[in-house]
Amino acid sequence: MSNTKSLLTIKDLHASVEEKQIIKGLDLDIKPGEVHAIMGPNGAGKSTLGYVLSGRDGYSVDSGSVTLDGEDLLDMETEDRARAGLFLAFQYPVEIPGVSNLEFLKASVDAQRQARGEDAITSADFLKEAKAACKQVNLPVAFLKRGVNEGFSGGEKKRNELMQMLLLKPKLCILDETDSGLDIDALQIVAEGVNSQRSADRSFIVVTHYQRLLDYIKPDFVHVLSDGKIVKSGDASLALELEAQGYAWLQKEPVEDELEG
Amino acid sequence: MSEWLESAIARAQGINDWLAPKRAHALELLANTKWPTRKTEAWRYTPLRPVERTQAKVITDKVELLPVAIADLSAIELVFVNGQFDQTQLAKTLPEGVSISLGGDLDTAQQAEALHAFSTIKPERHIFGLVNDALAQDVVVVTVAEGVEITQPIRISSLLSQGAESHTRVQVTLAAGSRLTVIEDVQAQGDSFNTAFVEYKVAANASLEHYRFALQTGSNVSIGGSHFNLHDHAKMHSTLVGFGSELSRLDTDIIHAGEFADAKLNAMYLLDGKELFDLHATVEHAMPNGKTEENVRCIVADRSRAIFNGRIHIHRDAQKTLAELNNRNLLLSDKAEINTKPELEIYADDVKCAHGATVAQIDKQALYYLQTRGVSRSKAQVMLNFGFINELIDLMPNAALAEWIRPIIRERFAQMEVK
Repeated sequence: MSNTKSLLTIKDLHASVEEKQIIKGLDLDIKPGEVHAIMGPNGAGKSTLGYVLSGRDGYSVDSGSVTLDGEDLLDMETEDRARAGLFLAFQYPVEIPGVSNLEFLKASVDAQRQARGEDAITSADFLKEAKAACKQVNLPVAFLKRGVNEGFSGGEKKRNELMQMLLLKPKLCILDETDSGLDIDALQIVAEGVNSQRSADRSFIVVTHYQRLLDYIKPDFVHVLSDGKIVKSGDASLALELEAQGYAWLQKEPVEDELEG
Repeated sequence: MSEWLESAIARAQGINDWLAPKRAHALELLANTKWPTRKTEAWRYTPLRPVERTQAKVITDKVELLPVAIADLSAIELVFVNGQFDQTQLAKTLPEGVSISLGGDLDTAQQAEALHAFSTIKPERHIFGLVNDALAQDVVVVTVAEGVEITQPIRISSLLSQGAESHTRVQVTLAAGSRLTVIEDVQAQGDSFNTAFVEYKVAANASLEHYRFALQTGSNVSIGGSHFNLHDHAKMHSTLVGFGSELSRLDTDIIHAGEFADAKLNAMYLLDGKELFDLHATVEHAMPNGKTEENVRCIVADRSRAIFNGRIHIHRDAQKTLAELNNRNLLLSDKAEINTKPELEIYADDVKCAHGATVAQIDKQALYYLQTRGVSRSKAQVMLNFGFINELIDLMPNAALAEWIRPIIRERFAQMEVK
């Protein structure tokens, strides 16, 4: 491992939901530009990790530490984590009728610009950017006028998440089961969008149950999450191994493997 | 009986004009009406103390007041200043097919017609409707001739100066096949008291687009009603936007007096501080094949109180009626109060009728979603509140009015949020 500074460092994280411990001692270190896949069986805590990192109400950290770019992430409000460069693409993005997608996107971009001490973007400039982003994720421009995710199909919602990512330009993107409910064409569009955003100063955590997505988004590291901690880490070939053998062999194995990839 | 009502009755007794028979009738009914208390169903959640102790007085001196300008809206202005119809603010020439006159200036036959409408459209059960019957200085009568489409909206503004009392009354008649847009608006300075009633007769195949803005806040008592009589194939689309005041009460009555009439009512009210807003919406389906759709949304913050009573009455002969009433409420504080009561009374057996009322708090998931994009919690709340109402604003047919009211509502939400 190079001596580049880490972007995200999670140390011995324990977290619970409604007093039930879900994350039980998780360690993860991500450097700028890396793509980490987190795989694991249902109920392993994959989605919980995203919620804990984003600071969702009801998800409490019992112990451990998380830093983003050297700053204590757990000490921040949800919106400040976003402004610090964290982005969570949801598995099931919420519908917000009455709030137009365009208004929502502009409010998000402006909030982050203001946090950086920049002025709000003009409506005309923003519209231009938003239209370009629509085109890139293959969403009709008319979707900007609709309520946030209102009546969008599963694939359209995922593309809308991706569009937000394009506009917000985060440092760390967590994609939570972005492949779920997508057909192969939609999957390719989303994967192309993600790949177009890969760069030396942007990292990804790709949370997925299936290896399929990783055919399109090539990870640098693959981690297996089981019962709240990472039980095995490896390179992209680990995903193929899991595809062939399932998760059962890992869950039975004593957890003494190397934890770092 | 309250002292206030006694003095109101005394003031009405001496008036002798063309409305005298109606005034006498109203006074007779008032004499037998009990002053509403907590036990009076129609006023159960709306205490009348602000009326009892109002210091508002009728102001007869001429005061210069102008209605607020609305960008991109060119309306025919029908203006009341402290209860008096200000003819000087009315355009000298009106579009062909429209007439606007004081009832006192009409000929006897026209007055007879106006007197008939006076007792058939607005129900007599409303105590302040009766007060208005007795005390309105005159009636402004608006008519649109048969088959005429008036593109310029008529805006009825009731303007009140500090401490003023006013009682205004307008009758609007759309003859068969005509089309008209009417905007009702009260703009009141503090400590004022007004009753403002407008009656609409929408004849066969006529179409009315209607707005009522009740944006007075603070120490005002504002009581009024918009009452509609729909004939065969008549259409109405009404939008109500209300902010609360010390006491704001509005009654809408929609009567399906003909077949195949179509009524839409979208109402939204947004209350803050210690404001109160009470909406009583009644729909009478007296004839078959009618259609009604009502959407009522309300947001209450701080210690404000909202009352909604939505009654749909489907008479025995009103077969094939389609009626829907949807009431959604958002509570922003645990000290705010919502009293909602949808009432369906159905005597016909072949109808489709649905109603629903919900009271909820802000959608936490949506709030979280916005925050994960960097939007602050307080800004996100404003956006979600606005979104809740914006769905109905989007349905306003008049774009200039929608563009005008949007920032006003946004500003109101921004104020609410600081609490």
